[in-house]
Amino acid sequence: MLVELRDVSLGYDRGPVLERVSLSIEQGEFLALLGPNGAGKTTLLRGILGLIPVLAGRIDYGFDRAVSPPGYVPQRDALDSIFPLSVFEVVLMGTYAKLAPLQPVRRQLRRLAARCLDQVGLADLAEQQFWALSGGQKQRVLIARALAVEPEIMLLDEPTAGVDAEAEIAITDLLQRLNRDRALTVVLVTHHLGRIRSAVRSAVWIDEGRATKQPIEAIPTLDGTTLLGRQRPDPA
Amino acid sequence: MSALLEILSPTFLLRDALIASVLVGFVCPLVGVYFVLRRMIFLGVALPQVSAAGIAFSFLAYKVAVGPHEQLEVSEHVLAIVGSLVFTLVVTVVLAALERRGKPTVEARIGTTYAVAAAATILFLAKDPHGDAQMVNLLKGDILATTRASLVSMAVIFALVTAALLAFRKELLLVSFDRDLAVVFGKRAGLWDLLLYLLIGIVISLGVMTAGPMATFGFLVVPPVTVRMIARHMLSFSLGSALLGAATAFCGFYAAYRFDLPLGPAEVGLSSVILPAVAAGVGLHRAVGRWQSA
Repeated sequence: MLVELRDVSLGYDRGPVLERVSLSIEQGEFLALLGPNGAGKTTLLRGILGLIPVLAGRIDYGFDRAVSPPGYVPQRDALDSIFPLSVFEVVLMGTYAKLAPLQPVRRQLRRLAARCLDQVGLADLAEQQFWALSGGQKQRVLIARALAVEPEIMLLDEPTAGVDAEAEIAITDLLQRLNRDRALTVVLVTHHLGRIRSAVRSAVWIDEGRATKQPIEAIPTLDGTTLLGRQRPDPA
Repeated sequence: MSALLEILSPTFLLRDALIASVLVGFVCPLVGVYFVLRRMIFLGVALPQVSAAGIAFSFLAYKVAVGPHEQLEVSEHVLAIVGSLVFTLVVTVVLAALERRGKPTVEARIGTTYAVAAAATILFLAKDPHGDAQMVNLLKGDILATTRASLVSMAVIFALVTAALLAFRKELLLVSFDRDLAVVFGKRAGLWDLLLYLLIGIVISLGVMTAGPMATFGFLVVPPVTVRMIARHMLSFSLGSALLGAATAFCGFYAAYRFDLPLGPAEVGLSSVILPAVAAGVGLHRAVGRWQSA
């Protein structure tokens, strides 16, 4: 068990969004958090990341978060384009997890960042401006940044939202490869499974304050590839 | 040319004032880059005014609690720095906390802060009969009154601020760029914010007392906004802004001395010439690039 939620309630000042959530995430799993808009998918992701307080229950981690924090890939639109950052500078930020204040970024960590950039296939763009990249390329750079943490688990918020079909394939292939070759546990939020459905092996359906984990095959689709509206999973 | 040689001479009468001006021009943009990156530029207008209100309040409080203070005493400067720093830090922390809680109408809050601080400055001075022309000069930033002692203490404090900004640049960048990631990494984001606000408060307090609110705001914002148009990395952004600020301060001092102009407006005026010139250059460069690729 890598992460275990026991009777967890998560929410904000105005009250809980999710209540009594109990589920576990195993090593090497590829898990999608699914549900209608506003159901609480991102709330669950942020709760697992420790970005919002647990209102009730508890979350246990099967790894030392201080030594190896989770790899986190936010929605790229959440980052401000006013920062003049090169692609390499963005990836290098992932290594800051290992550094105490006043500790410089040594050559070893720079090499790690370069390797991570290479793994996502963007080594040639290291000196490019981050904001000059396409949406799909930015997403892969953020995945490289998360890899630079050398995490046990990677959590991604809508990694394929707003990217073209080609980029969606590239991101899906990359995540699938990382999951398969490195046994990296992947948890992602999406409300549009699309091509990533082929990579996902289990899912948590979130709706009306509840979260239920089930095999991906049990999640219904409207058109064979997407999850839309407020349709519920078929218990059968 | 002779004026330039004169101000570069080691025996130049206003040498301490020139060095103080260049120091303010160098250090203000170093914290100013965070105003720009965190989209807090309007705060840069309000905070120097808050700092001025803090100075006026500390004089009034001293008069009420102890008695009239003597002008140009060292204790007067200490009093002013304490008042300025406390006001600036408290207001920065409160405004930042309101912003973090997602309270709307940021512009209204900052506008109100500016108006209240400006009014409070005048009211505090009106209630302090000793707050006459000398104090008004202090609030305006009487750079020509810079003494060797105040210059040395300012240089030491600014050196410490610069060292802190360089030493903690990765933490300050991470918290500013992606606060959530900093929290996931177990960094104490609130404490790093507080350190940044403390450094901002120190720089603004000393800047206002040395160069006045207007020049301080100018140096906080205009060099970073100018350099942002051409910077490709964080380090070049910070250092470029600082160097541009220092160069503007030097050239502004020269222009003020040569043409008998008030120093603060000369420096800000020069900045406001450089900004559109750089913008035009960048626009031209892009247009040529588009034309060549077409």
